[in-house]
Amino acid sequence: MLSRRGWWRWLGMVLVLSSMLALLGCGRGDAEGLVVLDWSGYEQEVFWADFKAKHPDVPVEWTFFADDSEAYAKLQSGFKADLVHPNVSWLEIMVENDMLQPIDTSKLSNWGGIMEPLAKMGQVDGVQYLVPWEWGYDSILVRTDKVAEVPDSWADLWDPQYAGHVSILDSAEAAVVAASLALGYDPYALTDAQLASVKQKLIELKPNLLGYWSDYTEINQQIASGEVWVGANCWPDAYVAVAAAGVPVEYITPQEGRIAWVYGYAIPKGSANADLAHDYIDALISVESMAEMANQYGYGAANAEVAELTDPQLVELFNLDQPEVLSQSVFFQSLSEAQRAAWTQLWDEVKASQ
Amino acid sequence: MQRQRWPSLGALYYALLALFMYLPIVVLVVFAFNDSPLMVFPLKGFTLQWFRALGQATEMLKALRNSLLLGITSSLVATLLGTMAAIATMRYRFALKGLFLAVASMPLVIPYVVLGVALLILFSTVGVPLSLFTVGVGHVIISVPYVMLIVAARLAGFPASLEEAAQDLGASYWLTLWRVVLPIAAPAIMSAFLTSFTTSFDEFAVSFFLTGTDTTLPVYVYSQLRFPNRLPIVVTLSAIVMVCSVALLLLAEWLRTRGEPATRRVKQ
Amino acid sequence: MNTRGRLWVLIGPPAIVLLAFFVLPMINMGSFSLRQGSFGAARQLWTIEHYRAFAANEAFQRLLLRSTWLALATSLLTVILAYPVAYHLAFKAGGRRMTLMMLLLVPAWTSFLLRILAWKLILGSEGLFSVALQALGLMQEPRPILLYTPTAVVVALVYSWLPFVALPIFAALQRIDVRLLEAAADLGCPPWRAFVRVTLPLSVPGVAAGFFFVFIPTLGEWVTPALVGGADGVMYGNIIQDQFARALNWPMGSLMSLVMLAAMLGLLGLLVGLARLLRLDLEVV
Repeated sequence: MLSRRGWWRWLGMVLVLSSMLALLGCGRGDAEGLVVLDWSGYEQEVFWADFKAKHPDVPVEWTFFADDSEAYAKLQSGFKADLVHPNVSWLEIMVENDMLQPIDTSKLSNWGGIMEPLAKMGQVDGVQYLVPWEWGYDSILVRTDKVAEVPDSWADLWDPQYAGHVSILDSAEAAVVAASLALGYDPYALTDAQLASVKQKLIELKPNLLGYWSDYTEINQQIASGEVWVGANCWPDAYVAVAAAGVPVEYITPQEGRIAWVYGYAIPKGSANADLAHDYIDALISVESMAEMANQYGYGAANAEVAELTDPQLVELFNLDQPEVLSQSVFFQSLSEAQRAAWTQLWDEVKASQ
Repeated sequence: MQRQRWPSLGALYYALLALFMYLPIVVLVVFAFNDSPLMVFPLKGFTLQWFRALGQATEMLKALRNSLLLGITSSLVATLLGTMAAIATMRYRFALKGLFLAVASMPLVIPYVVLGVALLILFSTVGVPLSLFTVGVGHVIISVPYVMLIVAARLAGFPASLEEAAQDLGASYWLTLWRVVLPIAAPAIMSAFLTSFTTSFDEFAVSFFLTGTDTTLPVYVYSQLRFPNRLPIVVTLSAIVMVCSVALLLLAEWLRTRGEPATRRVKQ
Repeated sequence: MNTRGRLWVLIGPPAIVLLAFFVLPMINMGSFSLRQGSFGAARQLWTIEHYRAFAANEAFQRLLLRSTWLALATSLLTVILAYPVAYHLAFKAGGRRMTLMMLLLVPAWTSFLLRILAWKLILGSEGLFSVALQALGLMQEPRPILLYTPTAVVVALVYSWLPFVALPIFAALQRIDVRLLEAAADLGCPPWRAFVRVTLPLSVPGVAAGFFFVFIPTLGEWVTPALVGGADGVMYGNIIQDQFARALNWPMGSLMSLVMLAAMLGLLGLLVGLARLLRLDLEVV
């Protein structure tokens, strides 16, 4: 028989360790603070330094999400947050479901700098519900040393010369828009027949695919290691990160246009700290804060002045100083609940098919 | 006992398996010192910058502390509940026993994401704010069946007559439980506790839906995948956790063998 | 205290916790399969539309079948690989057995995501194996090994479950009285025969526990296929996860979980029946 005393010693050790940890847990304060439902990476203090200066005693806490739908589900299930950071394409559905409070732009000292067209995207029926902060592209990132011919359109994803080396974002929204563009359809005015051919088209992409990428680290590594030659729906920061590591890559502008997205901050209905939330947003949209974001992540800022403070190379590459480039891009637009359900259903069936 | 002079086939197999288990860990440790934010071969050079950056990553360190706290507390509770359930089902006859066993094992069969959403709806309906406590409830539910099955499997091998004998000799029921049943079950209880802790410490799906502002480490790591230039810091933290765990384990083993009389060791 | 009282003390707390935090929320969740939508007004409407949609969806049904095979293969493989190590630790490793066992478990304290990331580095096209094979002249051009196939999913799952399966088998083997085996040997029974007639049958509960530990969560698995499965490695669990977390179609997700649950219980029933037929004593199941 194995020594029982040995076992008890183990158990004793565990108990001692646990009580130590329990003590550790006692020191935690429960002060009421601002709760931000956000993507990770945006919690850095440089982004909200002005808020810290103005309210040094108000603690800010984060809950992170990794997909817009996750944030939506959490809010819908009664999670209390003071700020949320969604894609503009989710705005309409959130307002429809009465989840947001209007933003009082007169409380934002930095509001004047926000570019008009972007500000408009944060409105539903003329009411401002979201303050745009950053925008960027979903485009195709190519390993120039691996391909014989650099693709120049969304339709080229289907080109057999890239067989086994294409990776596409695992997102119904991104996939349906990309396939629609490749087929020459308007993704936001698809007929049922067109939707069916989008599905067929996406199934036909499978032989070319290495896989579906679901997080950003994954696609960066796959491109850097040379497993993926053609990465679809990559964000500008993928280019920034991979190119900085000395990997020969090109971020192309497909003939059909780049896909583009705008993100911003909104205040959920349940927030009891709307004033603080406004101050937090005001700190975020200061020129310094946005410049920091633009330089770190290579995104466009919602304030045109930021371009002057941004690395000139980035500005040129992403045309960050020319808001009109945005008008040539295909923006993710608001989807109704039914549309979203239909697209996701389609995408799941594509993935399930053999 | 030891008849062979060279390492046995079994020892060799163990070594191979250990290599299989630790190979990725070694890779992670190596990358904690790699001078590039991208995690790809070939290595770029030696750096300590990620260790320095770790000191400032307060959100992540908080997540680590939360995970430790959560893991230990939830597995203690789950071990207690699961052991009680195992003793009850193995040593008593009662109506609906089959039903109880079926229901108690059911969390094993439910995808974690479903359990997470189900609990989320429950807590939001009742109005319990999300916190480490709510995640802990989820982890207890996940772990109870593991504990119950592991402990029950062990008890099944020992006839109840041992306990009856103890009681015949005048020991009270609870004393018998403490002195006879628990020691018999101790290895299984320990295994169960470890399994629960390990599950909880690396559990993502349930935690994801049930965390409030106190993030756990897996949830934090997952959200961090969005920003790969900060990934090496996460890798560095994991490497440290891993090295500390192994060191603690070896230290504990050293203490244990030191504490045992020499004769015992020879006997084994 | 009489027997009844003791039983209540023992069974009461776990029963109450399970009832409040598992049975009730799950019943509520199950009822979602009959609701129209996940939130708001649509949540209050009842419909069997989702059942019709699932019945008509052959892609999902085939996927469930394929995932079941994958889960079975994974569980069998894990049990086969874990048994020898549990055996070695239980009978040959002496006083260090628990520490050695724990050493196998400790890697699981590193985030699973990070461990899979590391495996991708090892197996990737610029990874350790690929470079080594090229240096040996066994491979012409850099390419990933195994990765992005259903096989990779099985291997990654075996990797992650192995210690969890070794543990219950180890626990079951440990309680075998070594004197039984010595008696068998004294009576002239060859070791392999003693193993087949004594050790193996006595360890069946541990093996069964280990098998189910793997099989059940594997059927609902979604992280591993997403990371290493590539375009063909998608599993049923990925779709369930999508329904809940992305499509926000909780009714469909709930229905798909129910179907999976039914399939799993059916299969488990079959296995337990088979075991009874073979007169194996599963005891805990």
